[in-house]
Amino acid sequence: MIVALAVCALGGLWFLIRRHIELSRPLAVLAWALIMLGVVGVIVATLVGRFGGLYTFLYPLPFHGNWPGWSTGVFLIGLVLVNVGWMIWCLQMLGAVLRAFGGLRGALAWDYVWHRQAFQAAGRQPPPPEAFPALVAGFDGLIAGMDATLLGVSLLVRWLDPRVVINPFWAKNLTYFWAHTFANLIIYMLAALIYVGLPYATRRSYHISVVLVIGWWSSMIFILTNYFHHLYMDFVQPGILQYFGELSSYLTAVPVTAVTVFSALMPVWQSRTRWTLGAIFLYSGLIGWVVGGIGAEIDASVPFNLHLHNTLWVPAHFHTYLLGGCLLFVLGWVFLLLESRSARETSGIMRGTIVALSFGGMIVFLLDFYFGGAYGVPRRYATEPAPGPILAQIATVGAAIMLAGFALAFAEGLRLRWSRAIDRPLWPGELREEASHEG
Amino acid sequence: MDAAEKLLLTFIILAAVAASVFVAVGWSTRLPEQEQAAVQHRGYVIPGRWFTGITLFLLAVFVGTIPFFPYLAAAAALQPAEKVPVIAQQFAFIMPGQFPLNRRILFEVTSRDVNHGFGIYNPEGQLIAQTQAMPDYVNYLAVTFHHPGHYIVRCLEYCGVGHAVMEKDFTVEGAPPAPMPMMQPPSTNNVGSSNESNPFE
Repeated sequence: MIVALAVCALGGLWFLIRRHIELSRPLAVLAWALIMLGVVGVIVATLVGRFGGLYTFLYPLPFHGNWPGWSTGVFLIGLVLVNVGWMIWCLQMLGAVLRAFGGLRGALAWDYVWHRQAFQAAGRQPPPPEAFPALVAGFDGLIAGMDATLLGVSLLVRWLDPRVVINPFWAKNLTYFWAHTFANLIIYMLAALIYVGLPYATRRSYHISVVLVIGWWSSMIFILTNYFHHLYMDFVQPGILQYFGELSSYLTAVPVTAVTVFSALMPVWQSRTRWTLGAIFLYSGLIGWVVGGIGAEIDASVPFNLHLHNTLWVPAHFHTYLLGGCLLFVLGWVFLLLESRSARETSGIMRGTIVALSFGGMIVFLLDFYFGGAYGVPRRYATEPAPGPILAQIATVGAAIMLAGFALAFAEGLRLRWSRAIDRPLWPGELREEASHEG
Repeated sequence: MDAAEKLLLTFIILAAVAASVFVAVGWSTRLPEQEQAAVQHRGYVIPGRWFTGITLFLLAVFVGTIPFFPYLAAAAALQPAEKVPVIAQQFAFIMPGQFPLNRRILFEVTSRDVNHGFGIYNPEGQLIAQTQAMPDYVNYLAVTFHHPGHYIVRCLEYCGVGHAVMEKDFTVEGAPPAPMPMMQPPSTNNVGSSNESNPFE
């Protein structure tokens, strides 16, 4: 799920930045191919080789299972390939943003924030909003990628030579730093779709502000320092990092709410928004982000984490913002494109049915995770203690309803694609201008 | 209302309030349209205030949670306690099956092979304390059992295909058994504590 949404985010952001500067297609295809090759390796290791070290693969578990050694190697090589592809994308994106917007100073909108009068007097413009997720993903992604390279090489050396000993606590820190940063960056990258898609739906422009820029600066730092909350229950971790972990996790909410809530709500407020299926998905994804964030903040509080760590509360909050946030951003964007290209919209009945089924089912599905977590049901259990089984049964019904909704959305997407009336440009920005002329 | 219900209620209320804001803003598109400049003029006052307000609120919450951090118990670790070694391994816990009531137990938790979790569930099935069990390291977890009954330790870190069956039962009895040798815990900071109570109760 994480890699699938990550690939959506990589493609989406690449597409948006390419509007501002030329990007090498072969390099992007290479990054994509390496990621896909890595995914194939992970699937082969898991399904054929029965590798059971999980995607968190905490050292030394990959070397302590009842699966053949080759599957551990294929799994690790697969992850390294995913990471290499990811780093190529990050390098390309970071380079593009720095070239397009005047180096690091320009891309950060440094002068826009600190020397605003001179900046405006010179007739300069800050980078467009989608440049900030690209900069943050490129910069933070490269740091996480370097961490993953160090970890991956260490584990591969251990795989080749079992005499090599790795410090498990060092490996644990590296693993969570990479995994958390990678997973966390997905939603920040997909925020770019909001910045470009929402103005199209609302027929308003997305306004860059000092608050938004500072919000992205702080996100750039907090994304890298949040992973400490994964080690709250490791009492050998230096105490100062535990305190810092909670503080950092809390402060993450400030730029997210300032950037997400206000910057996205303002274009909608009393606007002429056309609530097409694409606009509904895109806008609703923001709710998933915020609600998932609330669940995350509760879990990031050490006193609560003592009772929620590695319970179903963890998948509860990340499913909320991956399923109810990231996936909806992606669907929203795809439907906006389909609607713009086909010049058609989904009927009111179909729209209502899709929304009721997919959102209703999703709420049931997600709430069961939260209930399970609050009652201490552990995650990653093949057979859960009570009340896990009954909650799982209810969640299954919710998931089935949600999938029925998404299946309808898929069918509707195909209909829009096939019923393309005119060959309109893919880019909604041009259509937004058209719409405003029509309006 | 037990701790889990309070936690869920808090989450659901916060989530509902957040969702309501989005629904209300979405609903506002039914109102007469306003020029973007007018909305921005009034609207941009809010983020600045929100930025400051939410920052101060979260800082206050951070300070408020500090007394409940388990790590602070490192200072209290000097109190006498019964040291109980716990060794986790795929897929079992090696530890005693009986503990006394109202006596401070200092679990010395480590692992023989891979990362495991050490989560203690009380007779009502609530997760009352936990720490990680790591190879090469010892995590110290201080717990005082105030209620007699049947407790279960479950592994809370994925440790392989038998993860879900890795558990250990123990009982806490009213009449304390013969006293175990009292020892001073090490003065390290890798100590956590639980007083068999939920901080959100």
